[in-house]
Amino acid sequence: MHYEFLKRLDSYVPEHVQPVPAAPANLKEAIDAANLTEMWDMILTLDYSVSDAEDLSPEKRDEFLNVMSLLLKAFDR
Amino acid sequence: MLTRPDTHFSELGIKAIEKGLADPAVSAFYDSIMSTDADQIQQSMKPFLPRLSLCSDKMPGNAPPPIFYVGKESGQRHLFGEDWANPATPTFGLRTPDPDLEHASADGYRKALEGTPYYGYAHTKIQVNGELFEVAFERLIVAVRPSLKSDLRFCAYLGVIQDLQRTF
Repeated sequence: MHYEFLKRLDSYVPEHVQPVPAAPANLKEAIDAANLTEMWDMILTLDYSVSDAEDLSPEKRDEFLNVMSLLLKAFDR
Repeated sequence: MLTRPDTHFSELGIKAIEKGLADPAVSAFYDSIMSTDADQIQQSMKPFLPRLSLCSDKMPGNAPPPIFYVGKESGQRHLFGEDWANPATPTFGLRTPDPDLEHASADGYRKALEGTPYYGYAHTKIQVNGELFEVAFERLIVAVRPSLKSDLRFCAYLGVIQDLQRTF
């Protein structure tokens, strides 16, 4: 009984912790498949000054991934 | 009475920039792009990125290429707003929300993609969120590759709004 209670505690997410945006897991794969990796790297480096999207804050990461979704659509053939 | 057409788009040509007739921001961006080696193009774009919009090299149905990046201080963000520049769930590439403006501006992108930077002036009425505005702007469109050996091309757009008036 106690064990079940502790398990529930483990899954509790404090209110002050912002949820990490649910990144489309396949977005990077889709960008790579569309031969747009250079554009991903260019925007990430020039505008966000990091080399890995994982280094961005949740808000910035969300914003960057939004731009990448638009990139994919813009080059859709 | 002096009348003028509602919409006027004209190419001024890059010679106008070289003669010093363009807005200083346009001029600086043009000089930077044209004087940079192709393998340094990204670094030369960096200081201008906040004022740029970037779009693809695809012109489906002869429409301007869809936009994927709108700089924080770009004329398009100023004109069309944050909600337009940051759609919550993008389903298509961004397009300017005024179909007439979209149609009239296509020629500049076509010329840039044919290989010569396009520099022009436009004066037109636009509709944004149901409101009518009269806007005058100059714009430079350059087609670039992200690196020397890249197969990819994209358009960098720098627009400077000269006048913006709400009309009724």
